[in-house]
Amino acid sequence: MQSGASRRRPLGRTIIHVALVLSLAFGVLAGAGGYWAVFRAPELVRAPDDPAVIAAARTVPRGRILDRDGVVLADNERGPKGELQRVYKGRAISQVVGYASSRYGRAGLELAFDAELSGLASDPLNDALRKFGADPYDPQDLTLSLSYGLQKAAIAALGDFRGAVVMLDPTTGEVLALASTPTYDASKVADPATARQSFEALQADKGEPLLPRATLGRYVPGSVFKIVTAIAGLGSGAITPATTYKEQPGAEKNGLLVDGFRVRDGHHVTTRSKALDFIEATEASCNIWFALTGLQIGGKEFVDYAGRLGFGAPLPFDLPTAISQVTGGSGSAPGGFKDDVELANAAYGQAETFVTPLQMALVASVVANGGELLRPRLVTAFAGKAGKREVGPETLRRVIDAQAASSIMEAMVAAVEGDLGRRFTAGSKVRGVTTAGKSGTAELGGTGEPHSWFIGFAPADAPKVAIAVVVEQGGRGAEIASPIAGDLMTRYLAANP
Amino acid sequence: MTVAPDIGARRAPLAQSARAGRRRRIQPRARWGEARLLLLVAVTLLVGSISLGATLTGAFVPYDARDLAIYLGALLVAHLAQVLAGRRSDQILLPVMGMLGGISLLLMQRLPQGLVTMNLGATELGLGEVQLLWLVLAIALATVVGVAVRSDRWLRRYKYTWAALGIGLLLLAFVLGTDIGGSRLSVRIGPFSGQPSELLKVILVVFLAGYLSENRSLLIEQDTRVGPLRLPPLPYLAPMVAMWAIALGIVVIQRDLGAALLFFAVFLALVYAATGRVSLVVIGLVLFLAGSALMAALFGHVRARIDVWLDPFGDPLGAGYQIVQSLHAFARGGLLGVGLGNGLPLVGGRIPIPEVHTDFPLAALGEELGLVGMVAILALYLVIVQRGLRIGAAAADDFRAILATGLALVIGVQAFIIAAGNLSVLPLTGVTLPLISYGGSSLLANALVVGLLLALSDKGVEPPPPPGRRGWLSRLPGRGR
Amino acid sequence: MDGFLLLLWVMRLVFLALLYLVLARVMRSLLRDLRAAAREPTTSLGRLIVLESPSGEPATGLSFDLDAITTLGRDVNNAIVVEDPFASSEHAVLTFRGRSWYVEDTSSTNGTYLNGRRIEDVAAMGYGDEMSIGQVRLRLERARTT
Repeated sequence: MQSGASRRRPLGRTIIHVALVLSLAFGVLAGAGGYWAVFRAPELVRAPDDPAVIAAARTVPRGRILDRDGVVLADNERGPKGELQRVYKGRAISQVVGYASSRYGRAGLELAFDAELSGLASDPLNDALRKFGADPYDPQDLTLSLSYGLQKAAIAALGDFRGAVVMLDPTTGEVLALASTPTYDASKVADPATARQSFEALQADKGEPLLPRATLGRYVPGSVFKIVTAIAGLGSGAITPATTYKEQPGAEKNGLLVDGFRVRDGHHVTTRSKALDFIEATEASCNIWFALTGLQIGGKEFVDYAGRLGFGAPLPFDLPTAISQVTGGSGSAPGGFKDDVELANAAYGQAETFVTPLQMALVASVVANGGELLRPRLVTAFAGKAGKREVGPETLRRVIDAQAASSIMEAMVAAVEGDLGRRFTAGSKVRGVTTAGKSGTAELGGTGEPHSWFIGFAPADAPKVAIAVVVEQGGRGAEIASPIAGDLMTRYLAANP
Repeated sequence: MTVAPDIGARRAPLAQSARAGRRRRIQPRARWGEARLLLLVAVTLLVGSISLGATLTGAFVPYDARDLAIYLGALLVAHLAQVLAGRRSDQILLPVMGMLGGISLLLMQRLPQGLVTMNLGATELGLGEVQLLWLVLAIALATVVGVAVRSDRWLRRYKYTWAALGIGLLLLAFVLGTDIGGSRLSVRIGPFSGQPSELLKVILVVFLAGYLSENRSLLIEQDTRVGPLRLPPLPYLAPMVAMWAIALGIVVIQRDLGAALLFFAVFLALVYAATGRVSLVVIGLVLFLAGSALMAALFGHVRARIDVWLDPFGDPLGAGYQIVQSLHAFARGGLLGVGLGNGLPLVGGRIPIPEVHTDFPLAALGEELGLVGMVAILALYLVIVQRGLRIGAAAADDFRAILATGLALVIGVQAFIIAAGNLSVLPLTGVTLPLISYGGSSLLANALVVGLLLALSDKGVEPPPPPGRRGWLSRLPGRGR
Repeated sequence: MDGFLLLLWVMRLVFLALLYLVLARVMRSLLRDLRAAAREPTTSLGRLIVLESPSGEPATGLSFDLDAITTLGRDVNNAIVVEDPFASSEHAVLTFRGRSWYVEDTSSTNGTYLNGRRIEDVAAMGYGDEMSIGQVRLRLERARTT
């Protein structure tokens, strides 16, 4: 010890300070341990790049995926090295079921329900108990509402066209078919031997076979969007079924002047100078009438009602969905429209209006279901070690009252069965059954054929199936989308009388 | 006037002088506390070994009864040697070291044995057996140092010699070092290879203890005002700057971030312990941050470490692979762990964390023993630190106090740095987890630390020499009064 | 859960429990050690009696209980302030190290005397020895046993 100790203290106190700081530092370590081992653990132990998950994927069979009739859509097979790989029932379901590949990850339901299929899904309590079990994995079999037969028929009906078909049961929200073309062979992506070659070819394909158009494709809707306008108009009280516009017949010839822009209409041959009411306008698919209705509703109200139908946000579905929109929303007019011209054009499905086929099928099913929107569902049951868990119907909200829904149904029946309507929707009628529907022809601007649309449901008095069909550049609605819808609804109703 | 209870010198029995004590015959002295703790450690390790055996072989027998017996035997011999030597040294350090070493043995036994191999005559030893060899040597070293070192004169007298030796080691590493993973840490001379920085840290503490105890008064008393800070006269800051430069030099020359961080942290802690001046620590931290920024700006490998630290999941398959795998391991472990031998799922026949036996043993233990087990292990390190600091606080003079404090901090801070790296609390730096990581240099250096602490803890140790000449700082100009 | 696995998990948890038992035992030893240190009597190591002090600072007859380090000098920061014209501001230090006392002259101008003899640097000091700084005389005595 050195001398001269005026301010020097014994070392003890500073040593205690050092001890406290280091203890605090170790406390931080314990805290960090808790953060990773407890707080972040549920997410990390399920991440597909966790070695335990990778190891399990090679040894623990994934859950199977079955359709509504018990047809196995996705199953496991042992490869030449004894490692498990997925095999799929056929090309028709690829964009729904997706793939599980050791090389390219997962897609579709294989991605959305990866945790359940691989047996890792659980609550925190089960997480804690899981590792005490001999076999810690509990892969779940998924049962879908999809009908493999109907799905195959939908794919076949679309043929070489690019497009999508969505069919659902409007009373339960169960999705019966969710077809997109072109499609691909998911088994080849799942097979390590062919994965690379097949996947790279799919990525290079200009037809974008990997894109599930039914849920992620965004299309200009054309006239099928008039049903959305009708829902907003009747729902908001802006119009009644008896509403007529006296300027409408004149505007048929010269176009409707909105803010100096002329809204024109082409097909008005038989209606002459009669001012049309709602049902007649729907049957004739009168653009002028719906443009005037759109202006009558107002941008804000219009967007609000579309929002009730599911526009403006991803749909609460089992697969990821693109967002459908009435307008780009960047404008300064109410609802985000740029001006009244855009609003008038949007009201008959042009301008900045983009929709997914699934969204349009929901529009049809809201009308069919008396104005109530049900959550669309693909997965109806999980079956694991602990038994089977059913997923029931779920009402999201009432969009319009039953009377408004009934008026729209009447208009849609006229559009299929009426003398004038028949011309636009030829082939969509289900024989012997009252059918409701609306066709659409979405002008894309520039050259090229328009998208061909049809939405509808049958039977009109007690709907069992709702449908949305879009055929990319298929021409007028009547020419291609309508007959596809008619055939598919006929097929379903024949099997489920 | 009161007597500070921390100064323990008065506890030395006045009646017997050390000289007389040394001439007396050495009498065995029972160490029941240590014996009881060691017995408990042995039982714990036996249970652990059986649990490991059951996981790996399916039968409830110790995984490797022979190796476990050798290890426990070494602990027993160490205990008996201390009993026979009759010294009144600390009875907690050996059991704690034994516990950590035993956990290390269990971990190395369950890792792929091919990670490290060593040919001993005709037989080839795997990772577990090589580690057992080093562990036994480490226990032997700690015991021999703890029993045999009765005087610290050789440490305090030649501190500049030690400093020179340390710098020599550093140069040796630079000249002869072999690059491993971008860091020049390892030196190979003939059949021997080792990491000089492991020994360097002990030498550093010895030098600092000598330097700080000599110049303590001066560093405390003298003031220069620089703005709001009250500092020692600027010449006295020279060692601080020199230390900073050496730390940066280690980063530049050896590319060893961990050692630089360890040295600088221990240095700052000791300066604070010796002087109680927060201003010095603040200056040190400012220098440290400036140095870090400089290094990050100049060197890609430093910047890469920091980037990975800021966002470990940014590049999970590239730069962040190790740390992401480490975090996944902690997550798989959860609260209670997956059990010894049940973790580290093989992917394509490989363990998921590269360098798990040297840099990431804590992640492996965190997975297999869970958060609960990991916290216990961290607590064991704190126990070692507490023992060292207690020995320091009770030491008879400043040199011993600072030496014991520094030795304890070397183990504690190093454990913190690598644990923080594994948990992504700090950027990952390649230091070993003391007494657990695989590696001869690391085990022996840390055993040397434990041995010195044992020796210093003996209350009957030779009294410090009477005050001699002052430190060189007292001869600097400006000291006048 | 089969019997083997159950037993295995019991072993694993027992290992963790034992790990904590080791920790608890170690902690107990630590605490016992700390308590023992706190209980130790805090009597002083020795006393310094003022035999003569013309200035009255320190007062004659006063007895100082000594720390392991006791500084003497004219500066008020010293443990024992010695007011004497011949005293330096930091004059001398008494230290107890190991088993004996040492007096060290801290470069004072006029020197420190032990039993009448001026010391150079350091000198061992026994109980009963007298030291002087200027005209102040002090005697080292054993601590009183309480």
